[in-house]
Amino acid sequence: MTKKKIVAATGCPTGIAHTFMAAEALQKAAEKLNVEIKVETHGQVGIENALTSEEIKAADGVIIAADKDVQADRFHGKPVVDVPVSKGIKDPEALIEQILQGKAAIYYASDYEGTDEGEIAQDGAPEGSSRKWVHTIYKHLMNGVSHMLPFVVGGGVLIAISFLFGIYSADPKHEQYNEFAALLKEVGGLGFSLMVPILAAFIAESIAKRPGMVVGFIGGLLASQGGAGFLGGILAGFIAGYIIILLQKLLKGLPRSLDGLKSIFLYPVLGIFLIGIIMKPIIIPVTGLNEGLMDFLASVQSTNPLLLGLIVGAMCGFDMGGPFNKAAYVTGTLLLAEGNLYFMAGVSAACIAPPLIIAFATVLFPKYFTKEERNAGAVNFILGSTHITEGAIPFAAKNPIVVLPIIMLGSSIAAMLTYLFKVQVPAPHGGFLVLPVVTGAFQWVIAILIGSMVGALLYGMYRKKAAQK
Amino acid sequence: MKQIIQPACIQLQATATSQQGVFQAIADIAVANGIAQSAEAIVAGLKAREKESTTGFQEGFAIPHTQVDEVNQPAIIIVRTEMGIEWESFDGKPAFFFLSLLIPKSEAGTTHLQALSALSRALINEETRQSMLTATTPIELANIVSQAISGEDD
Repeated sequence: MTKKKIVAATGCPTGIAHTFMAAEALQKAAEKLNVEIKVETHGQVGIENALTSEEIKAADGVIIAADKDVQADRFHGKPVVDVPVSKGIKDPEALIEQILQGKAAIYYASDYEGTDEGEIAQDGAPEGSSRKWVHTIYKHLMNGVSHMLPFVVGGGVLIAISFLFGIYSADPKHEQYNEFAALLKEVGGLGFSLMVPILAAFIAESIAKRPGMVVGFIGGLLASQGGAGFLGGILAGFIAGYIIILLQKLLKGLPRSLDGLKSIFLYPVLGIFLIGIIMKPIIIPVTGLNEGLMDFLASVQSTNPLLLGLIVGAMCGFDMGGPFNKAAYVTGTLLLAEGNLYFMAGVSAACIAPPLIIAFATVLFPKYFTKEERNAGAVNFILGSTHITEGAIPFAAKNPIVVLPIIMLGSSIAAMLTYLFKVQVPAPHGGFLVLPVVTGAFQWVIAILIGSMVGALLYGMYRKKAAQK
Repeated sequence: MKQIIQPACIQLQATATSQQGVFQAIADIAVANGIAQSAEAIVAGLKAREKESTTGFQEGFAIPHTQVDEVNQPAIIIVRTEMGIEWESFDGKPAFFFLSLLIPKSEAGTTHLQALSALSRALINEETRQSMLTATTPIELANIVSQAISGEDD
């Protein structure tokens, strides 16, 4: 009978002691149990005794005994026992036994925290390289999204509260002005304005650790200040991460004694320079596109309200707070200033719908969302009701290719119905808080709810399908 | 450069009775032997590491360690206390044998780090632990440790 093969990875924050104790303990235990093992150590010195993809493929199981990231995606589809490093030192035999007895759960790099428990999928077959690639992208995105979420919730809720004082309560020239509301709006707005930079920073951090984070943050700032929105942020994050990977390759030839200089000087200086060079030209066409769209929108309104609803909805839902959304929104406010109260009604409806789609989906399909997501979903009721579209971004950013079309559809339905019902909204912001001044308020709410529910059902069904996969 | 382990850095009958006391003893030895510039920095560094997760091992062994700027050269400092001290070890037993690893922040050379990790590996070995426990003089213990580091795998 052939020996069972196990691969393992150990790591601890300092990377001096426990990493190696665990490695040694695992090797000793494997010897005792007559199992072949190879242990990769993630220590201060770097990764030693690194596992190759062939070795991982050939292994009967994987043991991760680490208190830090050991690039677990590599183990996708394998039976994995994932424990803190101390467990590896203390109970190495028990860990190996778990694998030998087939008690280890199959590891899925893509699975959501809440859905992978108890639902071990059947296909343990090695996946194609393209699927692996998608998983990597997904993991980077998720890292960005999970760091962004608290900024969205914290900032968004404070802004929403400020609206309770009146839509213009932060404007010192307006009669509604309230000092406290202005403060809420200011700090909330600050949190909000960091959303895209944080997203970009932590996408890049996932790709290239701290040097990536620095460059990603700057790329994200460029995207958000240049008006390229969250799609620009995602782009910036990935570009930044791979800039650092590239630099690491290019600077590989430098002597080891320069390691310190690399991380404190070369990576940030060269990285920030490069992201600037790359991002600037990307942002300019987006801005130009923006202006063209505005002209176009104003001309469609009179000729075809249904088409307009479709376009406005799609634009508002497409990047939620980004350049397309803003183009529609700014057009709305400009027309508002000219006395056109219809156009803005559709824009508002389409901006309110996305967070409501998320919120309803988490309520209707709670099983397919993690606890963290359900909490964020509840907050989206508030954000949606107050016209803060960005609340939906963390959810959309997880899988934009599927979620964005769903949201765009929901937004479009809300906008089309709003135009059909000939609702008039005189305020440029505030969501349901401005209901008292809306003409056709009841129809407006109905239009938004219908659009949101359609989107929520589709999104929920997608999550259900994704979880069952 | 001095040896990574030297008899002067071993104290076999320490009087410390608390975690703070052990850290202080380690730091004082480090400063007295020119391994570190500031005792406070060492104590703070060891404490910070301990906060992340316990360095307690088993059978009375613990490996408090830290990597801070104030360390001049990598070194192993061994303190053996008369009394056992609660250290949240795996087996719940109080610790009395402290192998402390001090690493300069700037340390990029891998040989010293490998020596330190070799010591950590050696601790897993029952026999190595036994021989460390039975050593009666700093010189004897220093020899055992440097043997363990040089990778004499039995």
